[in-house]
Amino acid sequence: MSQAPSRPGAPELEPDPVIEAYKKHVDRTLLRQNLKLTPGERLEKLAAFMRSLREVQGAARPGRR
Amino acid sequence: MPPARVAADFGGLLRALRAGGVDFIVVGGVAGAAHGLARATYDLDVVYARSSSNLERLVATVGPLSPYLRGAPPGLPFRFDAATLRRGLNFTLSTSLGDLDLLGELTGGGGYEELLSDSVEAEAYGVTCRFLGLERLIAVKRAAGRPKDLEAIAELEALKEEGDRS
Repeated sequence: MSQAPSRPGAPELEPDPVIEAYKKHVDRTLLRQNLKLTPGERLEKLAAFMRSLREVQGAARPGRR
Repeated sequence: MPPARVAADFGGLLRALRAGGVDFIVVGGVAGAAHGLARATYDLDVVYARSSSNLERLVATVGPLSPYLRGAPPGLPFRFDAATLRRGLNFTLSTSLGDLDLLGELTGGGGYEELLSDSVEAEAYGVTCRFLGLERLIAVKRAAGRPKDLEAIAELEALKEEGDRS
């Protein structure tokens, strides 16, 4: 996981100008927060986020109160 | 308005695969989230080993979850068995636990055996699973060349930079 160092044989990534352009808009605050968590905690957070997203989508649908 | 897409039960699927002894590596959005990516994802993508014994375990594990070809019209004579898995490679399925993509290979990444050395173990949802390593995840997403992945790739690379700094 991201807590572990990269494997020595891992592929080297050359910068891609298109991706670099996208990268300027990345909000790193949330990424930094996530890096403080364990992988398991990150995935619990994902599941909770997806549940809340479903609730919001359900509440926003026509005919729902 | 189309029906809202429901996220898969990631924990339920991972626990089932582990309980069934399936050899697999988590890739895609869930692997990204395990590394710290902060993006919504709805399905579980795994690369599975193509050995005969693993195909049998996959069938025994996923078969009871009513797998069907996602987006295909109902009523097709789809059988989720080892012969079907051998004939095909990548399967995008709906199951009773949500959407599950079973991938025999990744573009630019190869199959289970090729990816194994670039995967890492981590505990999630009460089980220990293998996840594709961050660098390799970025590499395969780049190789796929899908414009819809550009934001995710940028976030994954930012994540790597942040991780390297800390």
